[in-house]
Amino acid sequence: MTGFMTSPRNSPGTVAVLDRAPTSTTFSRVLGIATLVGIGWLVVFGLFLSPNDRVQKTGVRIMYIHVPSAWLAYLAFGVTGVSSLAYLWKRTRSLAWDRLAGASAEVGVLFMGITLVSGSLWGRISWGTYWTWDARLTTTAFLFVTYIGYLAVRDLGGTHQQRAKRSAVLAVLAMLEVPLVHFSVTWWRPLHQNETVENGKLSGLMLFTLFVGLIAFTLLYVWLVLHRQRVLTLLDQVDDRGLDVAIAERRNESVPS
Amino acid sequence: MDVNDPHLNDPAPNDTALNDTVLRPREVVPTAARGRKKPWFAYGVLALALVAGGVFVAKFLTNALDYYCNVDEVGVKDGCDVGRSIRIQGVVEKGSVAETGSVTNFVVTFNGVSMPVNLSSDPTGLFQECIPVVVTGRVVENTDGSRVFEGEEVLVKHDENYDKENEARVDKANAEADACSART
Repeated sequence: MTGFMTSPRNSPGTVAVLDRAPTSTTFSRVLGIATLVGIGWLVVFGLFLSPNDRVQKTGVRIMYIHVPSAWLAYLAFGVTGVSSLAYLWKRTRSLAWDRLAGASAEVGVLFMGITLVSGSLWGRISWGTYWTWDARLTTTAFLFVTYIGYLAVRDLGGTHQQRAKRSAVLAVLAMLEVPLVHFSVTWWRPLHQNETVENGKLSGLMLFTLFVGLIAFTLLYVWLVLHRQRVLTLLDQVDDRGLDVAIAERRNESVPS
Repeated sequence: MDVNDPHLNDPAPNDTALNDTVLRPREVVPTAARGRKKPWFAYGVLALALVAGGVFVAKFLTNALDYYCNVDEVGVKDGCDVGRSIRIQGVVEKGSVAETGSVTNFVVTFNGVSMPVNLSSDPTGLFQECIPVVVTGRVVENTDGSRVFEGEEVLVKHDENYDKENEARVDKANAEADACSART
């Protein structure tokens, strides 16, 4: 809060213009370019170089979006949970962890949405339906709304510390849902197929294309979270500045003119 | 502080250090607009998420926990009773698919147990011979003790196997025969 407001104390009504530093750095720009290259590779391998599947034909290509986005959503929610633990642990308590948790959850919800939409489209052409209430789909939908709820809880108001504490507790609990979703295909009997990659049922160019997708989506995840948590930091600073301005104005009123 | 002090509202002495600390009661002005708006949108989203979460839990308990019965479990496993609306899972037998009017007939097999299916809807998705399917409907027992599944909807249960199309073309018939036997 302090240090951000650069106006001198005896002219409290005027506050310096916000620091206009962009949210990008040299590192994030290089990362952004790498992300674009990765997505380019994914397009080339996913749409042109990888072969058709014997049964699914060209429909198999949806997997190169669906599986990486699901894995990255798991990772994102894991990062949210671990950052929240770091916030709750007194020795590492910092709002930076809270903002990282929030940024990662937002990107995770985005990836989970991509997973649900791509899976639904694949389901229509392979299963014959967009949706069915089996164990994998139902737990995934539950995970999705849990994190939408988490994002809503972050916006309920209060101080930054109040927001951080209440959302951190929720995030640590919500993290437990991730293994539930992942192992739903072995714990219950869903329509959704079992684990393909872990069971070694994918090989050659198909496996490589999935790997390209995973790299591209990971780069995209890091780039998005990096920028988003910087934007969240700026938003918090704007909030703090609002308080500074209010105090400054009030102090101004006391000075007879 | 004496509120009756006649000098209470006098200008403060022109001392900067003191000016900064003197905060007289100000006039009462409406402050609602200055305060933060209630985050109604967040409350709304949270309420919707809670409702949706409840629906999903209900769906999980009623639908997902016992999504299907394997063909060999019909009439054996609890919840897989004859006459009850269930889903059965098995592999479509090679050469068993036939159409009579609007009904599609085929046989599903699992663990060596087979069941004929009369499907009243059009099969969609990747429906074909030698592929695992989940059929919704009910088991009907004929007077001679034979059973038939009156199906309303079929969903293809694509398994976790992925194969290149070209590779299979080398000996497609054999590959399919192998797949069919491997899956049943």
